[in-house]
Amino acid sequence: MASERQIAASRRNARKSTGPRSGAGKKRASRNAYRHGLTLSITSSAAYAKQLDRLVREIAGSTEDPILLERARAIAQAELELARVRRVKVALIERASAFGELDPPQAFSSVTQIIRLLNAIDRGRVPSFPEPVDSSATMPSQEPDRSAEAIRRVLPELRKLDRYELRAAARRDRAVSIFLIEKSIGPTNNCEAQNEPNFSQFIE
Amino acid sequence: MRRNELTLLPKLPLLITEAADEFDALRDAFEQEIKPRGIIEHMYVHDISSIVWEILRLRRCKVGIINLALRSALQSLLKQLLRQPGQYEYEVEDEAQTLAQSWFTDQEAKKQVSEILSRFDLDESAIEAEAIRRSSSDLEVLDRMLTSLESRRNKALGCVAEYRASLAQQLRYSADRIIDAKGVLRLEDAASERSTAA
Repeated sequence: MASERQIAASRRNARKSTGPRSGAGKKRASRNAYRHGLTLSITSSAAYAKQLDRLVREIAGSTEDPILLERARAIAQAELELARVRRVKVALIERASAFGELDPPQAFSSVTQIIRLLNAIDRGRVPSFPEPVDSSATMPSQEPDRSAEAIRRVLPELRKLDRYELRAAARRDRAVSIFLIEKSIGPTNNCEAQNEPNFSQFIE
Repeated sequence: MRRNELTLLPKLPLLITEAADEFDALRDAFEQEIKPRGIIEHMYVHDISSIVWEILRLRRCKVGIINLALRSALQSLLKQLLRQPGQYEYEVEDEAQTLAQSWFTDQEAKKQVSEILSRFDLDESAIEAEAIRRSSSDLEVLDRMLTSLESRRNKALGCVAEYRASLAQQLRYSADRIIDAKGVLRLEDAASERSTAA
């Protein structure tokens, strides 16, 4: 168990750890949880917002009911998210096809290699720099082999994106079922709607 | 109407090597079968076409991965077959590499490989088997992705059918509600009204 002195020291140290102080540090820390941007709301882009509004209007029809419009928005949003994941998938495959891999090749494979190189410079020797790796040279030159190899190289990423796609599709299907119920019965009769044998039971 | 709905839906992004008109033909075939009405049904048909397109892409990829593994598979197989008792693998490495390289283009090399294989009661399917074995981890991931896509395609097809059935049911329900609310005249009431008037 920690002594009184240790606890006091821990509290003193904790008070010093208040996160980044500079503007640049705060900005960097604000993106700590950022991985791929796929969970960002689609309305955060102006181009999407316009497309979204047109799709919402088409789904909702002539209604001005705000609840129905909101339900239609949920369908449209999920549909556009689905499209976004598909675009990301294709972009990754194209990039792997062009460059051979997603991350640029590293000149040094380990820190030890860098230390060795610096030591060699310290000792006044001319170090031998590792040959730059051209990943695209390892790609087959002909189609369809090139595309197949590109897909193979990004399989882990595609698998992760599949999960996003699955979730977006499930969200859209749920939104469609709720929209359909509320369109015909009205948002005030939800309890009645739940007893109906309907689309939502199929989706679940 | 259909064109309008298609412009509203996001276009399926294709690889540079894929043809847009082939995708359009696939979607048209589904539209002819399903005959979607309204934006939501169009959405589902677009989804089904996109999923099927991706299934085809991944199936092509599976074949490509096996084809790409053929050379290294043959080389590894030949190293095993060419090695004499007491010989190390590196001693036959050059020969195996040359044969595996020329097997794709040179008929003579192909014949030679067949002879080596037949000495051990094997044929060219052993090369394919080795290629599949070597790419099994990638093929497994692809298979899982294909299974997931196929299940989503089936679900989307079911969604269209259920959506239509549910829509029809909801419309009937709405119509009943409207009739109940309006208090439409019953047949016997209408008959008694007519007799009073007479």
